[in-house]
Amino acid sequence: MSAIKELNTQLEPLVTGNPTFASVTQRISELTEGKQPNKGWWVCFLAALGLLFMMKTLILYLIWEGTGIWGLNNPVGWGWAIVNFVWWVGIGHAGTLISAILFLFRQKWRTSINRFAEAMTIFAVMCALVFPGIHIGRVWVAYWMFPLPNQMQMWPNFRSPLLWDVFAVGTYFTVSCLFWFVGLIPDLATLRDRSTGKIRRFIYGFFAFGWRGGNRQWQHYEKAYLILAGISTPLVLSVHTVVSFDFAVSIVPGWHTTIFPPYFVAGAVFSGFAMVMTLGIIARKIYHLEDFITLRHLETMNKVMLLTGMLVGYAYGCEFFVAAYSGNIYETAIFINRAFGPYAWAYWTMIFCNVVVPQAFWWKKARRCIPWMFVASILINIGMWFERFVITVTSLAQDYLPSSWDYFRPTIFDIGIFVGSFGLFFTFFLLFLRFLPAIAISEVKGVLPQANPHHGGEH
Amino acid sequence: MSSVNKEPESHNPYWRSVNELEGTPEFQRYVEREFPYLDEETATGSVNRRQFLQLMSASMALGGLTACRRPVNHIVPYVRPPEDVIPGVPLYYATTMPFGEEAFGLVVESHEGRPTKIEGNPDHPATLGKSSMQVQASILGLYDPNRSPRTLRGGQPAEWKDFAEALTSLTSGLGETGGDGLAVLSEATSSPTVARLKRAIEQKYPKLRWVAYEALGSENAHEGTALATGTSLRPLPHFDKADTILALDADFLMTEENAIRNSYDFANRRDPDMPANKSTMNRLYVAEPAYTVTGGMADHRLRLKASRIAAVAVAVAKALGVNGVTDLEAPAGELDPVWIENAVEDLRRAGSHGLVVAGRRQPAAVHALVAAINHRLGSIGTAVTYVEPLDTIRSDMKALRDLTADMADKKISTLFILGGNPVYNAPADLDFGKALGEVGFTAHLSELYDATSERCLWHISRTNFLESWGDARALDGTLSLVQPLIAPLHADSHSDLTILNLIATGEEATAHDLVRESWAERFDGAVGFETNWKRLLHDGVLKNSSYRPAQVTISADGIRQAVTTLDLTTNEEAIEVVFGPSTALHDGRFANNGWLQEVPDPITKITWDNAAIVSPTTARKLGAMRKLNKLGELKFDMIDISIGGASLALALYIQPGHADNCISLALGYGRPEAEAVLSVGHGVGFNTYLLRTTDAAHIVPSVEVRKSIGTYELAITQDHHSMEGRPLVREAELTAFKENGKLYPEAHYHEPHQLWEPPVDYSKGYQWGMTIDLNRCTGCSACTIACQSENNIPVIGKTQVGKGREMHWIRVDRYYKGPIEDPQGVVMQPVPCQHCENAPCEQVCPVTATTHDHEGLNTMVYNRCIGTRYCSNNCPYKVRRFNFFNYTKDIPETVQMAMNPDVTVRFRGVMEKCTYCTQRINQARITSKVDGREIRAGDVQTACQQACPVNAISFGNINNEKERVTALKRNPRNYQILQEINTRPRTSYLGRMRNSNEHLAPDDSAANGHEGH
Repeated sequence: MSAIKELNTQLEPLVTGNPTFASVTQRISELTEGKQPNKGWWVCFLAALGLLFMMKTLILYLIWEGTGIWGLNNPVGWGWAIVNFVWWVGIGHAGTLISAILFLFRQKWRTSINRFAEAMTIFAVMCALVFPGIHIGRVWVAYWMFPLPNQMQMWPNFRSPLLWDVFAVGTYFTVSCLFWFVGLIPDLATLRDRSTGKIRRFIYGFFAFGWRGGNRQWQHYEKAYLILAGISTPLVLSVHTVVSFDFAVSIVPGWHTTIFPPYFVAGAVFSGFAMVMTLGIIARKIYHLEDFITLRHLETMNKVMLLTGMLVGYAYGCEFFVAAYSGNIYETAIFINRAFGPYAWAYWTMIFCNVVVPQAFWWKKARRCIPWMFVASILINIGMWFERFVITVTSLAQDYLPSSWDYFRPTIFDIGIFVGSFGLFFTFFLLFLRFLPAIAISEVKGVLPQANPHHGGEH
Repeated sequence: MSSVNKEPESHNPYWRSVNELEGTPEFQRYVEREFPYLDEETATGSVNRRQFLQLMSASMALGGLTACRRPVNHIVPYVRPPEDVIPGVPLYYATTMPFGEEAFGLVVESHEGRPTKIEGNPDHPATLGKSSMQVQASILGLYDPNRSPRTLRGGQPAEWKDFAEALTSLTSGLGETGGDGLAVLSEATSSPTVARLKRAIEQKYPKLRWVAYEALGSENAHEGTALATGTSLRPLPHFDKADTILALDADFLMTEENAIRNSYDFANRRDPDMPANKSTMNRLYVAEPAYTVTGGMADHRLRLKASRIAAVAVAVAKALGVNGVTDLEAPAGELDPVWIENAVEDLRRAGSHGLVVAGRRQPAAVHALVAAINHRLGSIGTAVTYVEPLDTIRSDMKALRDLTADMADKKISTLFILGGNPVYNAPADLDFGKALGEVGFTAHLSELYDATSERCLWHISRTNFLESWGDARALDGTLSLVQPLIAPLHADSHSDLTILNLIATGEEATAHDLVRESWAERFDGAVGFETNWKRLLHDGVLKNSSYRPAQVTISADGIRQAVTTLDLTTNEEAIEVVFGPSTALHDGRFANNGWLQEVPDPITKITWDNAAIVSPTTARKLGAMRKLNKLGELKFDMIDISIGGASLALALYIQPGHADNCISLALGYGRPEAEAVLSVGHGVGFNTYLLRTTDAAHIVPSVEVRKSIGTYELAITQDHHSMEGRPLVREAELTAFKENGKLYPEAHYHEPHQLWEPPVDYSKGYQWGMTIDLNRCTGCSACTIACQSENNIPVIGKTQVGKGREMHWIRVDRYYKGPIEDPQGVVMQPVPCQHCENAPCEQVCPVTATTHDHEGLNTMVYNRCIGTRYCSNNCPYKVRRFNFFNYTKDIPETVQMAMNPDVTVRFRGVMEKCTYCTQRINQARITSKVDGREIRAGDVQTACQQACPVNAISFGNINNEKERVTALKRNPRNYQILQEINTRPRTSYLGRMRNSNEHLAPDDSAANGHEGH
């Protein structure tokens, strides 16, 4: 008993500044009401909108002209589009992981970050979904990927991992949206109650589904939330497992490996947390949310990144070991080429960002140094992008027959559409910050000391 | 209407009316009006409200109506159907493709009167049913959209009849002086009708100058035999009778004369499976500067500067005791004595089955020595015959030099240039273009309005060989007929025969009549002319019309004298330049042929360009060492070559196995014509003719070279040159293989455990399979072009090839083995779709656009393909080709006529690949069903198989015991590439055999595998 007490006093509080219930509501709700506290929002929003417009234009040109505007060639049939897809899906992992898995594990520190992490997930998955759609040669028949009944009885190929992808990512997106929305209901009601305008009241009121905060409603709500968390949890693991099947089920050396599912999931969590970190630090700064997103949150996330960084590092090493141990000449060659071949620059960028950089988080100072962790989170996301690039491109560029080996060079269209996808992401993200509570009001209230008059005695 | 809006004087060669052609103001106004058929009032803009409403409502109504209906296309049946034409069923006609002194007998496929595909004529000795890439691609030449449509005078449209009048009035004036100042410059030809007309003209104008010029002529061989025997003869090697061959700078399998027949005969004598009672597999020694496909086939290859080949010839002659050489001193400088000794020993052992051949760029004395060596070996009459060509007008560069000098001196007043493009390809020191300006009356007959046409007073559009009548003799003398497959695409095109007859008689006659006239005397037998003529049209060749071998006596004095003309001194450090034909464009005549521009050179794999080819050592010496094996490298160093006063900067390409201190330059690129007249070949590559002089037309012993600034982009289809020790091309020493049956590099294969039964029973019905014999394949790439022609494969251009998006369904992989400085060999491997029974591509396609059929074909459903490219990623052989753009959008209308109507033209965004010529399988299926029988052995030939001059490709139903492919699949040399990943390919390969001389370091390559660099 005394040990627990001691532990509790050692732990920092989840919310600082000793806010009251009312002040929590006020602080978070006011961000969505009235004028923006910061002109920066408008600058960011217009920039994001510009990028989104650029992406749209480039995609139209892509559809008009053909996939050839990208740098793809004969051995390298998948390039940036697939790399971006996997990267964005990976980023989309953190939200659901934080919301669902940490919820099931009763990790209360999640409350301050889960809302925008979930929003980030949804927008990241939206970005991800753009790419498989546009990367195909005949975009106008993309719907053939879906099992639509037709008079010719033509069905998609259920043996193809690409089809599994459609289902896996589609399911994940649907469930993530539901989960996020269910979590939003009490807060939407709060905003409804605070709203002054008729339109605002109507819209919030509509989406609040008549929430009154009654005891029975809370009971239903929490059950629904728990069930959705339960459904989401396996999805967190399954999405990237299935995405990794795109590679692992093929026979391309460097792709065809059983380590991919856990390796991809770890990588996804890794990059997802890095993105939450990047966004969290910015939002915290701009909206002065230091009391809600505390150093304790950031430090905990850094620990998760250290762990997942070590996991992917282990996977990188393991791949080399398996390639050498298998005696498979094609597999061996691909890994030698990765580290020392024409793409060595990409490989070592990946190793530096993903394996070396997070090692700093062994030190508490680094875990609590905001500028460092901001830089590190960005480096990690660059590294994770390169991980997907290394996997996708280097394996294809140098596979079985050396006669077909070639080198992939991106064009401005590859780069433009990728950069543009940030426009899509941030446009939605900024709109989210503007119109929805970025931090779960009701949940934060639940972790305030006032919510628990026994001061941890029940542990 | 917008298409009409073009300027009439633009480069659009087509015109719709005389008004457009002349660009009258009336026509300008006409095109500017949107509704030119409306009355003047409307057109000038004074429309009143009522008219406006009428017009608008009519437009709306009509516009709406068209949207409701499909456009109406009428299919009109023939009122009087042409004989034998059944829509959808092709017809085949025999004809001949004249090619300098050569002639290739062809059988051409015609769909509803439109020739679409060319094959060799099995009865013709030069093709034996086989072909080469130039022969295959010549169909595209017929449909070249840049072909000149009409007669031009001074670049302006003119009438043919004006030309005919001008010609007759001019020549009638010349008659008095015996034709003084009259000259004809033609290409080399072997046409009896041309020879007949030439005789007629010479009779009329005794002072006529007739010069033939080919940039790559055979004069050295003829002069050489003249030196050795006293008569100018044509050597005709018979590789089917040669046990040991020594090729001195002679790429007899690809770029030398008679390459199709040579390849055919050579491969048949290289068969390791020949019964023991017949003689064994042949052995090939090659001494050459740059790697050629012949060098690639060599058992022993000596890389040597071209100027040192003569020393080898002398050394061999001396060792064999050739009269006139024995008493000479051994040539100076380092030559590999062991190599020569063993080659000589092998030749001596082969005796009358030993054969030495020399290439066209070697000096006449080397050819004289070669004749003497063959004579000494006793092989004249067996492995080689010498013949005296008839009806042949041979190229003569010296005569061209004299003619040009006389032109410059204004001694020539009238010049007819029949074909060729001398302004472009005559040696630069002649300055032919300038001399041409000094001639009063010049006329050029050519298919394109080329550099020579531009400088001539008259340009006459020439008919393609597929449009006109003619005749030709093959190198061995066999007569064959050139039969048109289609009426001339441009009505104002004329045959050279017509013009020659006009000069000879002043009267116009059709080529058809002229040819028949020539043949009238030949057919005076009992059967009658018409019967003979019809027989000839059907067969394409006149059987038993080849030359009788000439009696050869070698003059020792002649040889001695010949050897004295040779420069046998050596300056190893001097950098020499050798000129050679482009493997695809020959001398540049195919420059506007997209297929040939895009086919990779068999050795360098460069497309759409030529480059200065050097060895790695020389590149280092020049300070231009590009890192070899760098994937996707586009930028190449440039070097400056100066010869005499001329200098040229061109891209440098490093070729392992090239002779040191030697630069190989391919001719035929850098055509000077503007894009409007040469839309494909314009600005492609470097014009190496600018460095060529009459004195050093082939080999320049010492040149100035330095590294130039800047880089140049080359589009190369293979960036990695080593096989990395992988068991892809597997080979063995013949003797060792007979003992242990092992191919190297060894492959480790274990029958995998299957979880489920195979879904299809492959032991029943037709099961299609292919074998590719790597022991026969030379890498000549005829298969690639045959496939392109058969399967409507698009040409994508240099930029796209540079990006690695080449579309060829069958490519030829080339690997070097051994150290980069001095590789031990080069091997070739054609790779089409392997039609795996357990195809990785099929499992990953999300929309089942690629599936397996019950006959073992891996089919591609273009309609269903959405273009995820996953199949291509998962194809371990990387044979799938993706339409990154709509490559067929801009195909000119004439080129569309070259398309095979049996094969879908693919849209952008879909994957495509080799189908095993499924349309040909279906054709055989239909025929067999109509006949009420099974498809028989040999009924289906794929396009690549049919073209392959060495019979390397076999195809058929592997359940049919009678098929050649079925037997070959049981051959101990048969193996599948990447068998260990359990794809179960239907295409398998037959291991390559080497027949090395044991004394010449039986290279440990076999044991060591292909350790690359």
